[in-house]
Amino acid sequence: MPYLGSEDVVKELKKALCNPHIQADRLRYRNVIQRVIRHMTQGLDMSGVFMEMVKASATVDIVQKKLVYLYMCTYAPLKPDLALLAINTLCKDCSDPNPMVRGLALRSMCSLRMPGVQEYIQQPILNGLRDKASYVRRVAVLGCAKMHNLHGDSEVDGALVNELYSLLRDQDPIVVVNCLRSLEEILKQEGGVVINRPIAHHLLNRMSKLDQWGQAEVLNFLLRYQPRSEEELFDILNLLDSFLKSSSPGVVMGATKLFLILAKKFPHVQTDVLMQVKGPLLAACSSESRELCFAALCHVRQILHSLPGHFSSHYKKFFCSYSEPHYIKLQKVEVLCELVNDENVQQVLEELRGYCTDVSADFAQAAIFAIGGIARTYTDQCVQILTELLGLRQEHITTVVVQTFRDLVWLCPQCTEAVCQALPGCEEHIQDSEGKQALIWLLGVHGERIPNAPYVLEDFVENVKSETFPAVKMELLTALLRLFLSRPAECQDTLGRLLHYCIEEEKDMAVRDRGLFYYRLLLAGVDEVKRILCSPKSDPSLGLLADQAERPVNSWASDFNTLVPVYGKARWATISKCRGVERHGPELPNASCATSGPLVPAENKERVQDLPDSGALMLVPNRQLTAECFEKTWLSLKVAHQQVFPWQGVVHPDTLQMALQVVNIQTIAMSRAGAQPWKAFLSAQDDTGCLFLTELLLEPENLEMQVSVKQSKARTETLHSFISVLETVIGTIGDLKS
Amino acid sequence: MIHSLFLINCSGDIFLEKHWKSVVSQSVCDYFFEAQEKAVDVENVPPVISTPHHYLISIYRDKLFFVSVIQTEVPPLFVIEFLHRVADTFQDYFGECSEAAIKDNVVIVYELLEEMLDNGFPLATESNILKELIKPPTILRSVVNSITGSSNVGDTLPTGQLSNIPWRRAGVKYTNNEAYFDVVEEIDAIIDKSGSTVFAEIQGVIDACIKLSGMPDLSLSFMNPRLLDDVSFHPCIRFKRWESERVLSFIPPDGNFRLISYRVSSQNLVAIPVYVKHSISFKENSSCGRFDITIGPKQNMGKTIEGITVTVHMPKVVLNMNLTPTQGSYTFDPVTKVLTWDVGKITPQKLPSLKGLVNLQSGAPKPEENPSLNIQFKIQQLAISGLKVNRLDMYGEKYKPFKGVKYVTKAGKFQVRT
Repeated sequence: MPYLGSEDVVKELKKALCNPHIQADRLRYRNVIQRVIRHMTQGLDMSGVFMEMVKASATVDIVQKKLVYLYMCTYAPLKPDLALLAINTLCKDCSDPNPMVRGLALRSMCSLRMPGVQEYIQQPILNGLRDKASYVRRVAVLGCAKMHNLHGDSEVDGALVNELYSLLRDQDPIVVVNCLRSLEEILKQEGGVVINRPIAHHLLNRMSKLDQWGQAEVLNFLLRYQPRSEEELFDILNLLDSFLKSSSPGVVMGATKLFLILAKKFPHVQTDVLMQVKGPLLAACSSESRELCFAALCHVRQILHSLPGHFSSHYKKFFCSYSEPHYIKLQKVEVLCELVNDENVQQVLEELRGYCTDVSADFAQAAIFAIGGIARTYTDQCVQILTELLGLRQEHITTVVVQTFRDLVWLCPQCTEAVCQALPGCEEHIQDSEGKQALIWLLGVHGERIPNAPYVLEDFVENVKSETFPAVKMELLTALLRLFLSRPAECQDTLGRLLHYCIEEEKDMAVRDRGLFYYRLLLAGVDEVKRILCSPKSDPSLGLLADQAERPVNSWASDFNTLVPVYGKARWATISKCRGVERHGPELPNASCATSGPLVPAENKERVQDLPDSGALMLVPNRQLTAECFEKTWLSLKVAHQQVFPWQGVVHPDTLQMALQVVNIQTIAMSRAGAQPWKAFLSAQDDTGCLFLTELLLEPENLEMQVSVKQSKARTETLHSFISVLETVIGTIGDLKS
Repeated sequence: MIHSLFLINCSGDIFLEKHWKSVVSQSVCDYFFEAQEKAVDVENVPPVISTPHHYLISIYRDKLFFVSVIQTEVPPLFVIEFLHRVADTFQDYFGECSEAAIKDNVVIVYELLEEMLDNGFPLATESNILKELIKPPTILRSVVNSITGSSNVGDTLPTGQLSNIPWRRAGVKYTNNEAYFDVVEEIDAIIDKSGSTVFAEIQGVIDACIKLSGMPDLSLSFMNPRLLDDVSFHPCIRFKRWESERVLSFIPPDGNFRLISYRVSSQNLVAIPVYVKHSISFKENSSCGRFDITIGPKQNMGKTIEGITVTVHMPKVVLNMNLTPTQGSYTFDPVTKVLTWDVGKITPQKLPSLKGLVNLQSGAPKPEENPSLNIQFKIQQLAISGLKVNRLDMYGEKYKPFKGVKYVTKAGKFQVRT
């Protein structure tokens, strides 16, 4: 970088901006401003010239305006007081005759991101919504969402929402899509924009007029609409048929998902749709963009789970070429492994065999594991290939092959003989822990069929002192003991030495304990050892390793075209779980800080706080439901559940209220302490927007608390989780009293 | 939807950032760098990364990473596609999508990003509409601008935004009315050691350049439409017409756009225009090997094959190569181990070949596997699938347009295993 510090630059630019000669020359003036922007984008702090830049915004030159607005949006949060000065100019520009200037000014004003700006932007936005230029309307509609975000709280402006709903009928397709986007953000707390029948039909009719982004998003919104009749459903599907052939993969996937979800009761329609998108999906799999290719491959795998034969005739599509990035190759190998059938198995295996000697060790290993996967169905061919691979005497290959053998012997006992014949000699080429464990396990379990098994294990025992992995030692103990049972003469001496070493010299506790355990077991007699160690070896019916069952399309339809297929369901669950905790994390401490009086002892509080994670129920904190609203809802609903909890003594309303707040149950109204009968009304809401309204009633003389719960959406499982949360809280408070 | 965008070069510098909803600190990219490190090769970084608070979806184009920060669950294909569209737009505006070009035009880049995305949602992405909002830089224009002081921003609102058809602006006027179509086919193929085809497929597109006044309604028909297996269409095409009559009927956007893309994948239909004779061998226990390849024409329908380049990633143990080409020139980069042979045209009388010695690291074991050859070539005036445009008719306007169709075939991922 040519400059020493930003201060000199700022000073110099400031001088230039103030220079009346420069200001008079449009071109020079703009050049100086461009320099400011350039420095800004390079990360230099240019906030020092804010005042001068605000002055520069009063110009007819639209480029200059743009640049100044860009600058202001960046630095307004740092200089809110100065930015207020700029608002005047911006407001004026919002009524400029040129629609482009109007739109530009409005967009910049909405993006200022500083406190207090709301009151200034409200009127321009409302004017913008009725502007005759669609460019301005587009900006204004999104501006509504930005304004809502600035407000920060959950208060929803009803009039604005209605206006936006009516703008869904706007002529301009982008205004329509922006309305949906905006409403979705504003109404996030209430579960997003509502798609009812007229809106759905309107959107369906406008689909062909939208650009690809709009189409993809509208398809996503339409998922919320539930057609009334079968006839309507098929009408919708007919209308959307052409989007399955769109040139944009995003639209194709969106349409596919919509089809799968709408037709969830018609499996033949689902299969038909998947047939139709086969072409586009395959095209995306060989697309120029590697990222598209990757995402498409993930979805192909998803489909294969339900329709294993779906892509079998196109297996050659999934052959890897040398120049592809790693993550694509790995996906392709997985796909190949899943679409194998009688016709293509020969070619697929030949291809995979080629990958096993790839330069990249990771990829080679993935290919070997894939062959192992195929071996569950086509055992003989695969075992032969794997045996040949052992002949290469490459460390990274041998170790994976042996691990594959171990799993295979467990799942397909019929191949044991072949595996046992292949094993001798590979001990020289295994160095890592996983590989050693697998080899030792095989030698232990099937040692009676491998002539030199005792001697291989003996070598391991010789070197046990320099062995770094405890897991290998454990495996060695078990294997040697097993082999001792079938070939005692050859193993007795070695076993003795190993046990001696493990008990006397080993530092790792787990290994030593295992050694001691086997020693004592041997003291109990050989029959006892046999009974314990040689119980049935493998039982494929347990299904621990293989979960090959076909899953119905409906089990993953809702995950289609999301990030789930990219990550795989299990991994996604962990990722989103961490995320869920984090997202709700910052709010919980606030609630509990306010309530962490001396009344709720620490251990109880913890217990209570753990609760929301325990079930599928996730209560949303700080839902401010007004008393009137509560009353209306309460009267309109039926009691979903009634239960009686044990209770002793009088109630301390404050304690109860705080405890409930910790688990995000809000108290609407409550009798005074000591009132008889004592009553309380509670409300809570879970993350799906379902409301739980509760009445607590404590009759005098009775030693129990009567609880009635009403639910806005009938769902039994969440209701039960909610009751158990409530029960724990009341139980905890009740216990305190006694 | 898209919170922020970071542009990162191959050496890991973040050289441009833009935020839409709220400012996300640069430190979020550390997760990306971490993943890059894990992937060993920077290009192998997975396109979707999850971090505690965001997802990072990235694309890799022309040695640049476009990393977008996403906060909520989104359809991944949607974001990937959009990022590619951003890169395409840069390419379109600056002629190349490189760090230097973006840095030189940083102001235009910001203007573009501002128009393409608002509050994280895609807005104007059609190139012809964007070009009316923000004029692309040209040498001539920058000279004119610096003299007259006029700007490269349109002062009027794009008319396309007022037309009833979103992809076409209203009131288009040309003195010469022209419609050109480019049929471009790429052959993706894997050829095995013995020369037989493991896999072959044609990826074709028809790109159009339409400069017609008014609201023309075009229909394009083919001699052999049944060839096309999977076709995807520009939104302007009437799908029902295609289904019933196999005719492409549409009101075109103004300017350049991709009309359709298609695949031909039944293998017997895919002709392989070149063959390679090769013998690459490494001797056991010696520090050299032999390398000999010859390229010849095959199924080329009588057209000349030109622009041939062969790239080979040699195994790591190769130190240097001493080769003699009968035609063209070759380079070998001892660091990346990439051999590039620029062949040029094939003349059937004298087939181009490249042969010589390979020096290996002494003492290292001989490579397990022979390298694959990647081949590029080009054939003008031929669509290898045999697709032919029959006729183009225009309705709705009175004038007579000038029409033209060009065919070209190229190698896509064309790989020969040895």
